[in-house]
Amino acid sequence: MPNKTMSCRDVALRLQTYLDGELDQDRMDSIERHLAACVDCGLEAEVFTSIKNDLASHVKPVNSAALQRLRDFSNQIASAAEADG
Amino acid sequence: MSAASLATMSADPMPGPPGQDARFEAYVVPELEILYRVAQSITRNPTDAEDLVQDTLIRAYRAIERFDGRYPRAWLLTIMRNAQINRVRRKRPELMRDPDETMARVADESPDGADAESQLMDQEFEAPIEDALAALPEKFRKVVELVDLNQLSYQEAADALGIPVGTVMSRLHRARRNIRQHLEASRIEEI
Repeated sequence: MPNKTMSCRDVALRLQTYLDGELDQDRMDSIERHLAACVDCGLEAEVFTSIKNDLASHVKPVNSAALQRLRDFSNQIASAAEADG
Repeated sequence: MSAASLATMSADPMPGPPGQDARFEAYVVPELEILYRVAQSITRNPTDAEDLVQDTLIRAYRAIERFDGRYPRAWLLTIMRNAQINRVRRKRPELMRDPDETMARVADESPDGADAESQLMDQEFEAPIEDALAALPEKFRKVVELVDLNQLSYQEAADALGIPVGTVMSRLHRARRNIRQHLEASRIEEI
Protein backbone atom coordinates (compact mmCIF):
# COMPACT_ATOMS: atom_id res chain seq x y z
CA MET A 1 0.00 0.00 0.00
CA PRO A 2 1.29 3.46 -0.82
CA ASN A 3 2.16 5.92 1.90
CA LYS A 4 -0.79 8.26 2.28
CA THR A 5 -2.63 10.30 4.84
CA MET A 6 -6.14 9.10 3.98
CA SER A 7 -7.27 5.48 3.94
CA CYS A 8 -8.91 3.95 0.87
CA ARG A 9 -12.15 3.84 2.83
CA ASP A 10 -11.91 7.56 3.61
CA VAL A 11 -11.31 8.29 -0.04
CA ALA A 12 -14.21 6.08 -1.16
CA LEU A 13 -16.53 7.98 1.16
CA ARG A 14 -15.47 11.35 -0.27
CA LEU A 15 -14.60 10.49 -3.86
CA GLN A 16 -17.80 11.82 -5.45
CA THR A 17 -17.64 15.05 -3.50
CA TYR A 18 -13.99 15.39 -4.50
CA LEU A 19 -14.83 14.89 -8.18
CA ASP A 20 -17.47 17.60 -7.88
CA GLY A 21 -14.93 19.98 -6.33
CA GLU A 22 -17.10 20.42 -3.26
CA LEU A 23 -14.52 19.60 -0.55
CA ASP A 24 -12.31 22.07 1.30
CA GLN A 25 -8.85 22.55 -0.18
CA ASP A 26 -7.01 20.44 2.42
CA ARG A 27 -9.20 17.42 1.74
CA MET A 28 -9.02 17.99 -2.00
CA ASP A 29 -5.22 17.94 -1.74
CA SER A 30 -5.19 14.83 0.47
CA ILE A 31 -7.40 12.87 -1.89
CA GLU A 32 -5.42 14.02 -4.90
CA ARG A 33 -2.23 12.71 -3.30
CA HIS A 34 -3.94 9.42 -2.44
CA LEU A 35 -5.26 8.95 -5.97
CA ALA A 36 -1.84 9.58 -7.43
CA ALA A 37 -0.36 6.85 -5.23
CA CYS A 38 -3.14 4.22 -5.01
CA VAL A 39 -3.89 2.29 -8.20
CA ASP A 40 -7.27 0.93 -7.04
CA CYS A 41 -8.64 4.26 -5.91
CA GLY A 42 -7.15 5.95 -8.96
CA LEU A 43 -9.03 3.57 -11.25
CA GLU A 44 -12.23 4.13 -9.30
CA ALA A 45 -11.81 7.87 -9.75
CA GLU A 46 -11.23 7.40 -13.48
CA VAL A 47 -14.47 5.42 -13.84
CA PHE A 48 -16.57 8.09 -12.16
CA THR A 49 -14.76 10.92 -13.93
CA SER A 50 -15.59 9.22 -17.21
CA ILE A 51 -19.27 8.91 -16.20
CA LYS A 52 -19.38 12.58 -15.21
CA ASN A 53 -17.75 13.65 -18.47
CA ASP A 54 -20.09 11.44 -20.47
CA LEU A 55 -23.12 12.97 -18.77
CA ALA A 56 -21.83 16.51 -19.27
CA SER A 57 -21.25 15.84 -22.95
CA HIS A 58 -24.88 14.83 -23.43
CA VAL A 59 -26.33 18.20 -22.46
CA LYS A 60 -28.88 19.10 -25.09
CA PRO A 61 -28.69 22.59 -26.57
CA VAL A 62 -31.35 24.81 -25.14
CA ASN A 63 -34.20 25.76 -27.46
CA SER A 64 -33.03 29.14 -28.76
CA ALA A 65 -36.55 30.31 -29.68
CA ALA A 66 -37.76 29.61 -26.14
CA LEU A 67 -34.77 31.42 -24.70
CA GLN A 68 -35.44 34.44 -26.92
CA ARG A 69 -39.08 34.47 -25.81
CA LEU A 70 -37.90 34.54 -22.21
CA ARG A 71 -35.52 37.42 -22.96
CA ASP A 72 -38.38 39.29 -24.59
CA PHE A 73 -40.55 38.53 -21.59
CA SER A 74 -37.86 39.96 -19.28
CA ASN A 75 -37.92 43.19 -21.27
CA GLN A 76 -41.71 43.30 -21.13
CA ILE A 77 -41.65 43.05 -17.34
CA ALA A 78 -39.43 46.11 -17.11
CA SER A 79 -41.53 47.98 -19.68
CA ALA A 80 -44.76 47.17 -17.83
CA ALA A 81 -43.34 48.48 -14.57
CA GLU A 82 -41.95 51.56 -16.33
CA ALA A 83 -45.37 52.33 -17.84
CA ASP A 84 -46.78 52.32 -14.31
CA GLY A 85 -44.13 54.77 -13.15
CA MET B 1 -50.64 32.87 -17.69
CA SER B 2 -47.98 35.30 -18.79
CA ALA B 3 -50.23 37.93 -20.35
CA ALA B 4 -52.56 37.88 -17.35
CA SER B 5 -49.62 38.12 -14.97
CA LEU B 6 -48.21 41.06 -16.87
CA ALA B 7 -51.60 42.76 -16.91
CA THR B 8 -51.86 42.29 -13.15
CA MET B 9 -48.39 43.64 -12.75
CA SER B 10 -49.13 46.62 -14.93
CA ALA B 11 -52.12 47.44 -12.73
CA ASP B 12 -49.87 47.49 -9.64
CA PRO B 13 -50.01 51.10 -8.36
CA MET B 14 -46.51 50.86 -6.83
CA PRO B 15 -43.77 51.60 -9.40
CA GLY B 16 -40.37 49.98 -9.00
CA PRO B 17 -37.68 51.90 -7.12
CA PRO B 18 -34.84 53.58 -9.07
CA GLY B 19 -32.36 50.95 -10.19
CA GLN B 20 -34.85 48.12 -10.15
CA ASP B 21 -34.45 47.51 -13.88
CA ALA B 22 -30.68 47.69 -13.63
CA ARG B 23 -30.63 45.16 -10.79
CA PHE B 24 -32.96 42.87 -12.71
CA GLU B 25 -30.70 43.15 -15.75
CA ALA B 26 -27.58 42.51 -13.69
CA TYR B 27 -28.74 39.66 -11.47
CA VAL B 28 -31.57 37.91 -13.28
CA VAL B 29 -31.14 38.15 -17.05
CA PRO B 30 -27.70 36.42 -17.08
CA GLU B 31 -29.32 33.39 -15.40
CA LEU B 32 -32.13 32.95 -17.94
CA GLU B 33 -30.62 29.95 -19.69
CA ILE B 34 -29.82 28.01 -16.53
CA LEU B 35 -33.28 28.84 -15.16
CA TYR B 36 -34.85 27.38 -18.29
CA ARG B 37 -32.66 24.27 -18.13
CA VAL B 38 -33.52 23.69 -14.47
CA ALA B 39 -37.21 24.31 -15.19
CA GLN B 40 -37.08 21.63 -17.87
CA SER B 41 -35.60 19.18 -15.37
CA ILE B 42 -38.28 20.01 -12.84
CA THR B 43 -41.31 20.03 -15.13
CA ARG B 44 -40.20 17.53 -17.84
CA ASN B 45 -42.18 19.60 -20.32
CA PRO B 46 -40.85 22.52 -22.44
CA THR B 47 -44.09 24.52 -22.30
CA ASP B 48 -44.47 24.16 -18.55
CA ALA B 49 -40.78 25.02 -18.19
CA GLU B 50 -41.23 28.27 -20.07
CA ASP B 51 -44.28 29.13 -17.98
CA LEU B 52 -42.39 28.37 -14.80
CA VAL B 53 -39.48 30.64 -15.80
CA GLN B 54 -41.90 33.45 -16.63
CA ASP B 55 -43.53 33.05 -13.24
CA THR B 56 -40.08 33.09 -11.65
CA LEU B 57 -39.08 36.25 -13.53
CA ILE B 58 -42.16 38.14 -12.36
CA ARG B 59 -41.58 37.08 -8.75
CA ALA B 60 -37.91 38.01 -9.02
CA TYR B 61 -38.70 41.45 -10.43
CA ARG B 62 -41.09 42.14 -7.60
CA ALA B 63 -38.54 41.00 -5.00
CA ILE B 64 -35.36 42.42 -6.53
CA GLU B 65 -35.33 45.51 -4.31
CA ARG B 66 -35.03 43.26 -1.25
CA PHE B 67 -32.33 41.04 -2.76
CA ASP B 68 -28.89 41.65 -1.23
CA GLY B 69 -27.03 40.85 -4.45
CA ARG B 70 -25.27 37.75 -3.14
CA TYR B 71 -25.67 34.39 -4.91
CA PRO B 72 -28.30 35.47 -7.45
CA ARG B 73 -28.55 31.98 -8.93
CA ALA B 74 -29.34 30.41 -5.56
CA TRP B 75 -31.86 33.18 -4.88
CA LEU B 76 -33.56 32.63 -8.24
CA LEU B 77 -33.63 28.85 -7.87
CA THR B 78 -35.36 29.23 -4.51
CA ILE B 79 -37.93 31.55 -6.11
CA MET B 80 -38.42 29.01 -8.89
CA ARG B 81 -38.96 26.17 -6.42
CA ASN B 82 -41.60 28.17 -4.55
CA ALA B 83 -43.26 29.11 -7.83
CA GLN B 84 -43.37 25.46 -8.86
CA ILE B 85 -44.87 24.41 -5.53
CA ASN B 86 -47.61 27.00 -6.02
CA ARG B 87 -48.22 25.84 -9.57
CA VAL B 88 -48.53 22.22 -8.43
CA ARG B 89 -50.78 23.26 -5.55
CA ARG B 90 -53.13 25.00 -7.97
CA LYS B 91 -53.21 21.91 -10.17
CA ARG B 92 -53.35 19.18 -7.52
CA PRO B 93 -54.12 20.57 -4.04
CA GLU B 94 -54.59 17.10 -2.53
CA LEU B 95 -50.95 16.19 -3.14
CA MET B 96 -49.31 18.95 -1.15
CA ARG B 97 -48.38 17.09 2.03
CA ASP B 98 -44.82 16.54 0.77
CA PRO B 99 -43.68 19.08 -1.88
CA ASP B 100 -40.75 16.92 -2.98
CA GLU B 101 -42.98 13.91 -3.45
CA THR B 102 -45.56 16.04 -5.16
CA MET B 103 -43.09 17.42 -7.69
CA ALA B 104 -41.84 13.90 -8.39
CA ARG B 105 -45.37 12.57 -8.88
CA VAL B 106 -46.39 15.40 -11.16
CA ALA B 107 -43.21 14.92 -13.17
CA ASP B 108 -43.84 11.18 -13.38
CA GLU B 109 -47.25 11.89 -14.85
CA SER B 110 -46.05 14.43 -17.40
CA PRO B 111 -44.94 12.03 -20.20
CA ASP B 112 -48.61 11.36 -20.96
CA GLY B 113 -49.05 15.01 -21.74
CA ALA B 114 -45.63 15.54 -23.24
CA ASP B 115 -45.55 17.47 -26.48
CA ALA B 116 -43.95 16.45 -29.76
CA GLU B 117 -40.65 18.14 -28.92
CA SER B 118 -40.09 16.22 -25.71
CA GLN B 119 -41.15 12.96 -27.35
CA LEU B 120 -38.60 13.58 -30.05
CA MET B 121 -35.96 14.25 -27.42
CA ASP B 122 -36.83 10.95 -25.74
CA GLN B 123 -36.37 9.12 -29.02
CA GLU B 124 -32.87 10.53 -29.23
CA PHE B 125 -31.93 8.70 -26.02
CA GLU B 126 -29.74 6.09 -27.61
CA ALA B 127 -26.32 6.28 -26.00
CA PRO B 128 -25.82 3.85 -23.07
CA ILE B 129 -25.15 6.73 -20.69
CA GLU B 130 -28.49 8.27 -21.61
CA ASP B 131 -30.27 4.95 -21.22
CA ALA B 132 -28.71 4.68 -17.78
CA LEU B 133 -29.86 8.19 -16.90
CA ALA B 134 -33.37 7.54 -18.19
CA ALA B 135 -33.56 4.35 -16.10
CA LEU B 136 -33.02 6.25 -12.84
CA PRO B 137 -35.99 6.95 -10.57
CA GLU B 138 -37.18 10.54 -11.05
CA LYS B 139 -35.77 12.03 -7.86
CA PHE B 140 -32.30 10.64 -8.57
CA ARG B 141 -32.35 11.65 -12.22
CA LYS B 142 -33.24 15.23 -11.36
CA VAL B 143 -30.19 15.61 -9.14
CA VAL B 144 -27.90 14.17 -11.83
CA GLU B 145 -29.40 16.50 -14.43
CA LEU B 146 -28.92 19.53 -12.21
CA VAL B 147 -25.36 18.77 -11.07
CA ASP B 148 -23.77 16.74 -13.86
CA LEU B 149 -25.57 18.09 -16.91
CA ASN B 150 -26.32 21.64 -15.86
CA GLN B 151 -23.28 22.09 -13.62
CA LEU B 152 -25.11 23.38 -10.55
CA SER B 153 -23.34 23.25 -7.20
CA TYR B 154 -24.74 21.01 -4.46
CA GLN B 155 -26.18 24.08 -2.73
CA GLU B 156 -27.83 25.36 -5.92
CA ALA B 157 -29.36 21.94 -6.62
CA ALA B 158 -30.62 21.84 -3.03
CA ASP B 159 -32.19 25.28 -3.48
CA ALA B 160 -33.83 24.26 -6.74
CA LEU B 161 -35.32 21.08 -5.30
CA GLY B 162 -36.02 22.29 -1.77
CA ILE B 163 -34.04 19.49 -0.14
CA PRO B 164 -30.97 19.52 2.16
CA VAL B 165 -27.49 19.50 0.62
CA GLY B 166 -26.85 16.14 2.28
CA THR B 167 -29.82 14.69 0.43
CA VAL B 168 -28.48 16.07 -2.85
CA MET B 169 -25.16 14.35 -2.12
CA SER B 170 -26.65 11.00 -1.16
CA ARG B 171 -29.02 10.95 -4.16
CA LEU B 172 -26.27 12.00 -6.54
CA HIS B 173 -23.79 9.44 -5.30
CA ARG B 174 -26.33 6.65 -5.36
CA ALA B 175 -27.45 7.69 -8.84
CA ARG B 176 -23.91 7.55 -10.16
CA ARG B 177 -23.40 4.08 -8.67
CA ASN B 178 -26.62 3.00 -10.40
CA ILE B 179 -25.44 4.49 -13.69
CA ARG B 180 -22.17 2.63 -13.34
CA GLN B 181 -23.97 -0.66 -12.71
CA HIS B 182 -26.25 -0.01 -15.66
CA LEU B 183 -23.28 0.65 -17.94
CA GLU B 184 -21.45 -2.46 -16.72
CA ALA B 185 -24.57 -4.57 -17.30
CA SER B 186 -24.91 -3.10 -20.81
CA ARG B 187 -21.34 -4.08 -21.64
CA ILE B 188 -21.88 -7.63 -20.36
CA GLU B 189 -25.00 -7.94 -22.56
CA GLU B 190 -22.99 -6.82 -25.57
CA ILE B 191 -20.40 -9.60 -25.10
